Amino acid sequence: MSTTSVTPAPEDAIVRKKLGFGFWLCVIWVGLMAFIAIFAPVLPLKSPTANFINSAQGRPPYAPSWSHWFGTDKDARDVFSRSLYGARISLTVGFTAITAGFLIGGSLGVISGYYKGWIDRISSFGFIVLLSFPSLVLAILLTSLIDRNLLTVSLVLGLLSIAPVGRLARAATLQYADREFVLAARQIGATNRRIIIKEILPNVAIPMSSLALLGMAVAVVAEGGLAFLGFSVQKGITWGGLIQLGSDASKTLQDAPWIAFFPILMLFLTVLSLNFAGDRLRTFFDVKETTL
Amino acid sequence: MRYYVQRVALAILLLLAVSMLTFGALNILGDPLFNILGPVAGDVNNPDSIKMIALAKKEFNLDRALPVRYFIWLSHFVRGDFGVTFSSTGQPPVSGVISERLPRTISLVFLAQMFAILVSIPWAIIAAARAGKISDRISTINAFFLVAMPNFAIAVILKFVFSLKLGWTPITYVADDPLHSRLFQLLLPSLTIGLPVASVYQRLLRTDLITTLQQDFILLARTKGLSKTRILFVHALRPSLFSFITVVGLNTGALIGGSIVAETVFRIPGIGSTLVESIFRNDFPVVLAIVMIVASAFVVINLLVDFAYTLIDPRVRR
Repeated sequence: MSTTSVTPAPEDAIVRKKLGFGFWLCVIWVGLMAFIAIFAPVLPLKSPTANFINSAQGRPPYAPSWSHWFGTDKDARDVFSRSLYGARISLTVGFTAITAGFLIGGSLGVISGYYKGWIDRISSFGFIVLLSFPSLVLAILLTSLIDRNLLTVSLVLGLLSIAPVGRLARAATLQYADREFVLAARQIGATNRRIIIKEILPNVAIPMSSLALLGMAVAVVAEGGLAFLGFSVQKGITWGGLIQLGSDASKTLQDAPWIAFFPILMLFLTVLSLNFAGDRLRTFFDVKETTL
Repeated sequence: MRYYVQRVALAILLLLAVSMLTFGALNILGDPLFNILGPVAGDVNNPDSIKMIALAKKEFNLDRALPVRYFIWLSHFVRGDFGVTFSSTGQPPVSGVISERLPRTISLVFLAQMFAILVSIPWAIIAAARAGKISDRISTINAFFLVAMPNFAIAVILKFVFSLKLGWTPITYVADDPLHSRLFQLLLPSLTIGLPVASVYQRLLRTDLITTLQQDFILLARTKGLSKTRILFVHALRPSLFSFITVVGLNTGALIGGSIVAETVFRIPGIGSTLVESIFRNDFPVVLAIVMIVASAFVVINLLVDFAYTLIDPRVRR
């Protein structure tokens, strides 16, 4: 070891981890969806609520064609623009939910991992209680009791993510709470608040943030499931709601599968991208795996 | 012994917390009086309505304080009396609805779990034996795709392909059919729930198997000249199953959630679809009973998984 430390290893001997082409492809797709979600009303899209009845073609639904790329539904509404508008609620709910979950669950987890003792006991018990419900059952129970709008649905899904996020943050904090640099900071008289913010948080936040994309994928799927069963945002277009509309009657699904299948495709690609990008980020930030 | 007592005590504590939360949410966020009487509940100027409100409050103990109501309900619930449904006649009792429909959900979840386990173990072993090779990569990508497919989307696709286009499987569930045809009718629903779970199991078990395969006792087994199949199935599998078993237990929750979706799409009158219907009908006692049964089952299953864990690895008990 003593001889090798004199000559620094050549640049190419260090195994550099790359995020890879697939990662960027996924980021582009999610970015595109986010762009569409934000700017849908000003983009040159057909109105998602207008009825494009074409007497020459007979009764709707119309199959995919040049004028309606993804076809139309039973009310002759354009499935392409509805699928794009569906990104708005699904992504907003997914994003808000995981942000709320990380803020609340993350801080609870860090605090209980740092202070330990009774704070830790109480919050850990709270996490187990939340995890004792199958998540979809708890989501249905809560959304059925409230006025379902964008904020409340997001908060319910955020509540569901508190426990898993909190447990991870707690475990990550426990790893650092007794390390030398934390002890050193305490020795020179740093307050607990300062230690948490300056010493613990930077170490916990980076590996946790790579889980945010995976968490968002879970939240988007959960929102889709709620919408499919009729428990998501009451007004507006969501992917889950579109899929439900295209599949609730067997005849609709058999005769006009495009109504359900294009929203499924959009949802699938988005969840796949979030999962894949999240998974790459997780391995990228996983220090244990790096070859030093 | 002390370990077991502690675990059981924790499980009971959890069940109490879960029941308080559910009961509290339904009573505070919801409006039980409105659920019983409908619009009459808000009509406080009409003397007839006032009489009905008073009567209903008396009958359903709504005039008592919330904690008192909770204990009355709990003492009934643990004895298997789940109250009456909020239909006009109060018939059938909630316990009747549950005992008729719960077996269907249990068999659905059981089939899905069996399917997921039976598929994922060989799938993981084959993938781990060829880790890094093309076939392993393809199977990893497949697992990724399946995980990204929400179960309601899988349900719609399976129904479209196998029931509607190919006509191989029946579209509806008929409760009066003989056992074998009912099991066949549960095939697509259990695939719906089991497929994504199988890929979760496969990814986990594959990673654990690869770790195990690098250990010395595997090398020893190989130098002894044992066949590759024997090493994989006999020597490597068992020590790799620890986290697999935990995840199988934890995923029961996901399976129950999935059964709500699958029962709704394939129109199976189990407790999942009943939960959704009862919520739309404001049938508060049924909702309360189903959520409690499902959450209790989940807690008990996790307790059993913990115990199973101690049987495989006695170190956990300490």
